[in-house]
Amino acid sequence: MTPDMVDMLAMLTPLLAAAIQSGAPLLFATVGEIITERSGTLNLGVEGMMLCGALAAFVVSLGTGSPWLGALAGCAAGALLAVLHGLATLTCGGNQVVSGLALTILGVGLADTLGAGHIGQVAPGFDPVAIPVLSSIPVLGPALFTQDALVYLSFGTPLAVWVLLFRTRWGLHLQAAGENPAAARAAGVSPLRWRWIGILAGGALCGLGGAYLSLSATHLWTTNLTAGRGWIAVALVIFCAWRPQRAMLGAYLFGGVMALQLRLQAMGAALPSSLLLMMPYAMTVLALVAFSRAKSRAAGRNLPPAALGVPLAGPQGGEGR
Amino acid sequence: MATHIRIEGVSKSFGMQQANRDVSLDIRAGRILALLGENGAGKSTLMSILAGTLAPDSGRILVDGQPLPPGNPAASLGAGIGMVHQHFLLMDQLRVSQNVCLGLPGAFWLSPRRMAALVRDVSSRFGLEVDPDARIAALSMGERQRVEILKLLARDCNALIFDEPTAVLTPGEAAILADALCGMVTQGKAVVFISHKLPEIMALAARAPVDVAVLRQGEVVARYDLTTDTPAEGELIRAMVGREVDLAQVERLAAAPHVLGEEVLVCRNLQVPGLQGVSLGVRKGEIVALAGVAGNGQKPLVEVLAGVQPPQGGEVRLLGQPWHAFYSGEEPGRGLVVIPEDRRGAATAGNLDLLDNYLLTTRRRYTRGGLIDRRQALDDLRQIIDDFNVRPPVPTTPGGRLSGGNLQKLVLGREFSREPGMVVAEQPAQGLDVGATEDVWRRLLAMRARAGVLLVTSDLTEALLLADRVLVLYAGRIMGEVRRGISSLETEEARGKIGRWMAGLD
Amino acid sequence: MPLRLVDRTKPLPWGGFFVATISLAAALAVCALLLTWQGKPGLHGVWLLVDGGFLHGYALEDAVRKAIPIFLCSLGVALCFRMKLWNIGAEGQFALGAVGATAVALRFGHWPAWAVLPCMCLAGAAAGALWALGPALLKRRLGVNEIITTLMANYIGVLVLQYLVYGAWKDPVSFGFPMTELFSDAAQVGLLPGSRIHYGLLYCVAAGLGFWWWISRTRLGFELVVSGENSRAARFAHMPYGMLICLAMGGCGALAGVAGFLEASASVHRLQPSIMVGYGFTAVVVAWLGRLRVPAIAAFSFLLAGFRVGVENLQIELQAPAAMAGVLEGTILMAVLSGQLLNHRRLVWISRRTTP
Repeated sequence: MTPDMVDMLAMLTPLLAAAIQSGAPLLFATVGEIITERSGTLNLGVEGMMLCGALAAFVVSLGTGSPWLGALAGCAAGALLAVLHGLATLTCGGNQVVSGLALTILGVGLADTLGAGHIGQVAPGFDPVAIPVLSSIPVLGPALFTQDALVYLSFGTPLAVWVLLFRTRWGLHLQAAGENPAAARAAGVSPLRWRWIGILAGGALCGLGGAYLSLSATHLWTTNLTAGRGWIAVALVIFCAWRPQRAMLGAYLFGGVMALQLRLQAMGAALPSSLLLMMPYAMTVLALVAFSRAKSRAAGRNLPPAALGVPLAGPQGGEGR
Repeated sequence: MATHIRIEGVSKSFGMQQANRDVSLDIRAGRILALLGENGAGKSTLMSILAGTLAPDSGRILVDGQPLPPGNPAASLGAGIGMVHQHFLLMDQLRVSQNVCLGLPGAFWLSPRRMAALVRDVSSRFGLEVDPDARIAALSMGERQRVEILKLLARDCNALIFDEPTAVLTPGEAAILADALCGMVTQGKAVVFISHKLPEIMALAARAPVDVAVLRQGEVVARYDLTTDTPAEGELIRAMVGREVDLAQVERLAAAPHVLGEEVLVCRNLQVPGLQGVSLGVRKGEIVALAGVAGNGQKPLVEVLAGVQPPQGGEVRLLGQPWHAFYSGEEPGRGLVVIPEDRRGAATAGNLDLLDNYLLTTRRRYTRGGLIDRRQALDDLRQIIDDFNVRPPVPTTPGGRLSGGNLQKLVLGREFSREPGMVVAEQPAQGLDVGATEDVWRRLLAMRARAGVLLVTSDLTEALLLADRVLVLYAGRIMGEVRRGISSLETEEARGKIGRWMAGLD
Repeated sequence: MPLRLVDRTKPLPWGGFFVATISLAAALAVCALLLTWQGKPGLHGVWLLVDGGFLHGYALEDAVRKAIPIFLCSLGVALCFRMKLWNIGAEGQFALGAVGATAVALRFGHWPAWAVLPCMCLAGAAAGALWALGPALLKRRLGVNEIITTLMANYIGVLVLQYLVYGAWKDPVSFGFPMTELFSDAAQVGLLPGSRIHYGLLYCVAAGLGFWWWISRTRLGFELVVSGENSRAARFAHMPYGMLICLAMGGCGALAGVAGFLEASASVHRLQPSIMVGYGFTAVVVAWLGRLRVPAIAAFSFLLAGFRVGVENLQIELQAPAAMAGVLEGTILMAVLSGQLLNHRRLVWISRRTTP
């Protein structure tokens, strides 16, 4: 090995580790939104749910001293906000786009209001734990297996969701609610119930994504901690074609871009920081454009769930004809 | 296994319209019940009541003597009654095995291998071959229908209802379905087969015991047991469509001498999805009816003529111009008016008031320098409301509040006021009461003086009464043409011919 | 469940007003709760909010000043919503409008006011419109989801603004603060005589009247209304659907751009990142609440602007955070959306004996 290659590998490990860390909150939120959209509901409130999850996790961890209880509180906060979306769209039959936007505005407002007193405080969070043996694999070991508990959890989440969606009866029922509620009803499966489950599970995972930001990425609270990650997650769902296994690819790709951008800033790159900051957002648009081209080419593949955004007939989940 | 389903005195109405009136039927294991009837005769409503997706207003359903709870799909399914809907209830992006296994009781974990094995097992038992691992979106209509049937068979349904199952099938696929149906009957299942196509019923009767019930305007008007009875085709057709309407006056108007002018519509070998080379022509001064059961290509044809979708093959000339030239430029489609079947969806907007609905297609006439002269439009609208007797006569009423008949009068008044040279009217009298229907017919006849009229209809009486020529559309093709008869004998003969063509017989 | 929702045959009379009132009350109640939770006097806080937003001359002037950009952005967003285009990009279009106007102000500031101000206004409108046309074209040509593209364009637009004020346009004597130099007097939109409200109010009156006139009098306006109502009927009536999409988005961008121009030129007299306070997002709320009705858009703009001023009062009096305005807006929107149910349905109590 030449000294150059050793240098490059030495560079690669921290970048990889940083990509995985930046990707983790995106991964949680993307997988959560995949569950929600697979059940037939579009929830654009990801940003709001993440931010509220981040705050709840931070406050509970600060109060109890247990980051695990904090993470749990993050899930609960995300799910609680999602309940509002369920009430507005499923119970009251309101427009899903408008409700999602309202949820974002409300969630961001709530988090910044309630969190105002905590700015700059430090809460106990998750610290990296090296996994014996695995962490000593060259290059990959330190990147993959010297992380904190939530990152390890983020490895398992897409896999677990994949198994639940595609290998269990529950997953089939949930998908039926999002593909063809009438078919579900005819088969004795309540689409209303499974849409609720989809909304709540998605909200909890978005909240967990937020919790990662306040408990792992930083251990402190600042305003606008999410900085648009919720919206990137919504775009990633399209990018990864509603598949949890592909969400890993998308999340780490975008995590990598964010990490790279931060690294370049820290290194004092010639480019102004505002241009570097644009990278993830511009890439999101590019990803959607590229994907849409691909979609028209591959016609009939990577389509959204057929009944995504389609309200169930009647407020009680389809008593009407 | 010896299921016996009895429908007792079932009635159902939607608002003013009576869909089923005191219908009683028996469905027996090992037999096929063929339900015959025109569109809107109440066949699908009756079967939806049986499948539990609708609840009857009165009457009940007995399964082996036990009453079935009304309006409960799960209960119907539990009693072994399953329905293959006209619009399949499938999850298009999931696999066949997932669709079949949805809602089946079983283990929590789903193994693709075991699910596929289950599908293979059922499909081989009934001769319904389909790849369990294929995604629905990649399947043909016939294969999708097999999946629907497999869903019911996997649940051990004993009574299977098929709502116009061959409407979406190619002849080859229809033959496979017929084999499967006969197989099910021999294995002791009861089959209900809804159709308006006679040849299919006759073909089935040659291979399995078939009962026939003819429904007309919600009532059972005739019953046959084809194992013992042999009704003539003409008799069945008359039972289905033979409504006698006394409209001597309209008839006289229609038969009055009139002059033909230049050709205003020419289609040569027109091709779009759903149409397989349609050729027809309409001259100024005549009404040409395009008869046929809905879903045989009417929708794409009207959309092409209306400029909503372009022709993909063949030639279309409208008022002497090729299609693309006719539908481009400053005022696309000038001189051709369309009265679409879907009044509320395609011809009007429910939340806009009558004035805006009037301006929908007439707006160019009132535009000066980019501005709409609403005062002038309002005056003209008042005139039309008067002439056509639109109720309520208030221009600020939202279009959605008008009854179907009044909305249609507004649409007719609006379109006729555009002084067309060509009129395409699709089911113009559907859902109207007798008085309004007669009114619409008179106005169409009066239109002959100024324009050519293409009347797209599934109502034979309407076609024969108004049209100078009747063409029959079946499966995207023109089956044949009849000219207006002078005597009632000729009309009767034409009716028989058209009925056969509409049913797909040569 | 003994409670059932039953369709109403007629919409509830005064239903919209009823729902809006309840939603307002709900939003204020949420505020009181949040304040109480933080150990502050909740009811008194609500009073401070209302009092500080609406009940004093200077408060009303402030509310009008804030309502001006919100109103202009809302008009545009309302156009897009009518076409069922979920354009959430007013914020970015606002930023680009400010940038476009500033470019003119910095380069041609020596021109007389009658020459430079119209040029700034046009430059702002054009920049905003171009920023909006990108997502519109992506939507039309490639079917790219406009919600996400307009949102990403917001982030990018704000960063473009920052890039300029931290870089090329930075005032050399600003002691390192990110801002351009002060606009020349000619390039500043002035104040209405005897008030603290700038001439932007007249732009709003003109835009509002123009909007109403365009929607209700012109053929294109009519076609846009119909296309949004029933796109299938619009196709049967041969309306230029694709062109209308670009028109709505471009129009929204132009209106938001003018708002950005006014905020830079009339309020702070320079370009600086602090002009971005989320008016574009408030406009989304207003546009959905107001639909296409100009008076309703004006009223909701004023109301939400007043709440923003009231929240500033809360900030001073109770040290409550500014984000409270977002809570108010989010709650109102969510409550009105859910409350619409009551317009068309009512809850009835069905006794257990009659249900099967």
